[in-house]
Amino acid sequence: MQSAILRARLESALGERISSPVTDVERRVLESVPTGIAPLDALTGGLPRGAITEFFGPPSSGRTSAMISILSEATARDEVCALVDGNNAFDPKSAAAAGVELNRLLWVRCRKLDQVLKTTDLLLQGGGFGRVVMDLTDLPLSHVRSIPLASWFRFQRTIERTPTVLVVMSPESIVKSAAALVLRMEMRGTDWSTLLNGLNSNIEIVRSQRSRPLKSYVRVYLHSECVR
Amino acid sequence: MFACIYIPNASGDAHAALVHCAKMFSPRAENTSAGTVVFDIEGLERLFGSYSEIATKVAGEARARGLEANVAVASNADAAICAARGFGGITVLNQGTEEKRLRDLPLSVLSPSPEILETLERWGIRTLGAFAKLPAADVSDRLGHEGIQLHKLARGAGLRPLVPHVEPLRFVAVTELDYEIVTIEPLTFILSRMLDGICTRLRSRNLATHEVHLSLGTYVRVLNLPLPVRNPKILTKLLILDLEAHPPGVEVRRVEVEAIPAKPRVVQSGLFVPLSPEPEKLELTLARVKAVVGEENVGSAEILDTHRPDAFEIKKFGVINERGLKPATTGPRSIALRQFRPPFEATVQLRNGLPMWIAFHGVHGPIATASGPWHTSGDWWRPTMWDREEWDIEVLDALYRIYYDVHMDRWYAEGVYD
Repeated sequence: MQSAILRARLESALGERISSPVTDVERRVLESVPTGIAPLDALTGGLPRGAITEFFGPPSSGRTSAMISILSEATARDEVCALVDGNNAFDPKSAAAAGVELNRLLWVRCRKLDQVLKTTDLLLQGGGFGRVVMDLTDLPLSHVRSIPLASWFRFQRTIERTPTVLVVMSPESIVKSAAALVLRMEMRGTDWSTLLNGLNSNIEIVRSQRSRPLKSYVRVYLHSECVR
Repeated sequence: MFACIYIPNASGDAHAALVHCAKMFSPRAENTSAGTVVFDIEGLERLFGSYSEIATKVAGEARARGLEANVAVASNADAAICAARGFGGITVLNQGTEEKRLRDLPLSVLSPSPEILETLERWGIRTLGAFAKLPAADVSDRLGHEGIQLHKLARGAGLRPLVPHVEPLRFVAVTELDYEIVTIEPLTFILSRMLDGICTRLRSRNLATHEVHLSLGTYVRVLNLPLPVRNPKILTKLLILDLEAHPPGVEVRRVEVEAIPAKPRVVQSGLFVPLSPEPEKLELTLARVKAVVGEENVGSAEILDTHRPDAFEIKKFGVINERGLKPATTGPRSIALRQFRPPFEATVQLRNGLPMWIAFHGVHGPIATASGPWHTSGDWWRPTMWDREEWDIEVLDALYRIYYDVHMDRWYAEGVYD
């Protein structure tokens, strides 16, 4: 009640000089781009442009497959993408087999966390990339946790009025409230015959700036054709 | 009116001196052939006097350079050339008198082809006057197009336009310093000023540059750009980033910058063009990223045409211009492999030839499922040969690719399926 009164007084004092001084600057409708994973797009409505999307989960949960799918979808639409690879783990062969146009993908191979942060900053400042993927999955957890929240908000501010999508891949949720969409991935069973056929991945919405759907998770089957 | 300077059997230096001599009188000078330079002297009377005075002054200039040249003035370039080649010293042919004055000159002044010269000599024709008397239609029938051209020249009736010699444009700036520079930072201001001037000159000729040569005394760097640029700020920043990555390591007393000119990029933009970085800005961003992670770690991957595992190379990244709508891929998705580079050495326990337990880089435990072996080998004739048996395994709710190196007799973890 106190805050409502304070707000009314402020608005009347500032009058016509500033319209709506204590409301959000802009309630933008976030444009979305598809991930290439149809069930996930149906669940989330796609990845919001001008915002951060985070995928996190343990090894073999399908994070890299989601990343490859996002890049494949973007490069198929002639957009130029960048991958800031935290530990030089990207496999171009399986990415190309999954449909990523490698000549539209800028691959930056880093070895240290500060290189990842500086490079991401430069790429976002430079602008013009459809997707910038920041892959932190293989970096030590203690290092990843040490990234200050201010860095994420800086990234978010840099891209918020641009069509760039910043995708962060991490072992655990680190972007917190700076992310527009946070997705947890988990492996839910593998499919073996005499060889590895695929795996089931569970993708759950942890945080979304959009209205939360009735169902908060989706199960995706990832086959092994492109790696064998 | 045209003047011609001629020296028989001129060397390269002598010819260059002739061109320079002609350029002192007129910017419209034609580099006709070795030892022959023709230039336009129309309208120079107010500056240098009558045509005979101009011819005398030209001969004097040539003499000052140590050259004894024949100088001829005529109403057309070809008549001037014939006169300079045929008469010694200074010759002035007034308009309308060319045919009469040239008639006693030998055919060699026309520089005909050996076949035509031989034919004319067989006919008993040895002077321009004799050749000019032949009917043009018959000359055309017997000697063809070249014969007609020579016939016109023999009558002193050349009408071709002059083809002026244009010096190749060079965009160079040089700064001599009073004191040595040992750090890169002060160079920023010097390079900025020099490139500003070069880019202004480039812009005035509607040109840009795709190659910049920087000489710091004996230290030389060449900056190759994927597309022509004429923004001095971008060029300065790129040169400074390049110098930071490759420091000169010498004291700098002299700075020379040369921009190789190129036609500027013309882009038709559109409303529905997909998102891509501006090429000039991208080049700067890439240079900055290279300064952070190293040049070899930035680019786009190119898969090599081999079955060797993890075979790729990094090539320079540039925005691709060709576009085309491709079907978006929304089918079933595939597992991706994350590579361990270099692979982790692993300890593997086998039972009946199947891996049962593994330990590597913080991962250890029983293998729940294993699929393999997939045997691959190649390049046996090279030192980089490989021979291995690959397995897909499930350990502690994660899927890995491991392999047994047959030659090393060791196990390695190559990557994780994710």
